[in-house]
Amino acid sequence: MAAGNTSKRKRPSVSTGRKQAHGKARCLRILRQLSAYIDDELSGNICQEIRRHLGTCPNCETFVTSLRQTVSLCRHSPSPTLSAASRTLMRKTILETTQAR
Amino acid sequence: MYRFAHRLCGEAEAAKDLVQETFLNAYRGLDRFRGDAQISTWLYTIASRACLRMRRKRKGAPERELSLEEFIPTSDGEFRLQIPIDGLSPEAALHNKQLREALDTAIDQLPKKYKMVLVLRDMEGVSAKEVGTIMGLNERAVKSRLHRARLFVRRQLSARGLGEPLTDHNHTPVRERRTVSHGSR
Repeated sequence: MAAGNTSKRKRPSVSTGRKQAHGKARCLRILRQLSAYIDDELSGNICQEIRRHLGTCPNCETFVTSLRQTVSLCRHSPSPTLSAASRTLMRKTILETTQAR
Repeated sequence: MYRFAHRLCGEAEAAKDLVQETFLNAYRGLDRFRGDAQISTWLYTIASRACLRMRRKRKGAPERELSLEEFIPTSDGEFRLQIPIDGLSPEAALHNKQLREALDTAIDQLPKKYKMVLVLRDMEGVSAKEVGTIMGLNERAVKSRLHRARLFVRRQLSARGLGEPLTDHNHTPVRERRTVSHGSR
């Protein structure tokens, strides 16, 4: 009986808990691959598996959205520019230094 | 080159020094350039090495490693951290000074070797293979560093944004501004 109870206690964590434990492990596995997923470097099968998971896991969906936004912000970050005067001065310094050698 | 240097150094004067150092080193090593790589890859390599040397001169502290474990969410809340850009395109979102500064600060806080990978790959648009050539790493190591760097920046950005709606130049919350502009159509 006790054994039955124990197994029952374990099993339910299979029906409610299985989803949780399995889901969590899958979340972590997916999290490790998200950059490759964003960069489209994974095989079709893995991408499909990730997409399926994202469709059922709001946590991972939010995570991937924020990671995608992070990458996108980096890609669109404004370029620092050098003024024409600074550029001329720098070129002059480099030329003078090389000629002095 | 200045753009890359500025992104690595985070400020104008150090970036100018790095550009100068890079071109002087390139001039000295010109006879060793055999044309196997693109000239941009060669210059990025020289700049990256010069940057690491300059950093070592300034601070002696060893670089910290970013472990993947530190980015694994331990709660639903951590999973659901959001970047507060409220549906704006990245270009529009980056008009916001607060967000730009938060992004710059987050990138600046990255340990140098992670920062270099992120800057080269996500900001300069260099391929993972080329980044490997520049940094003397295999592609797998490049991708691993890139992933950690992105996770770091994501966490920094989302942590900053929690509970604080972004404001535009006039200190109007972005959400409010968008509502107003929708309403006025």
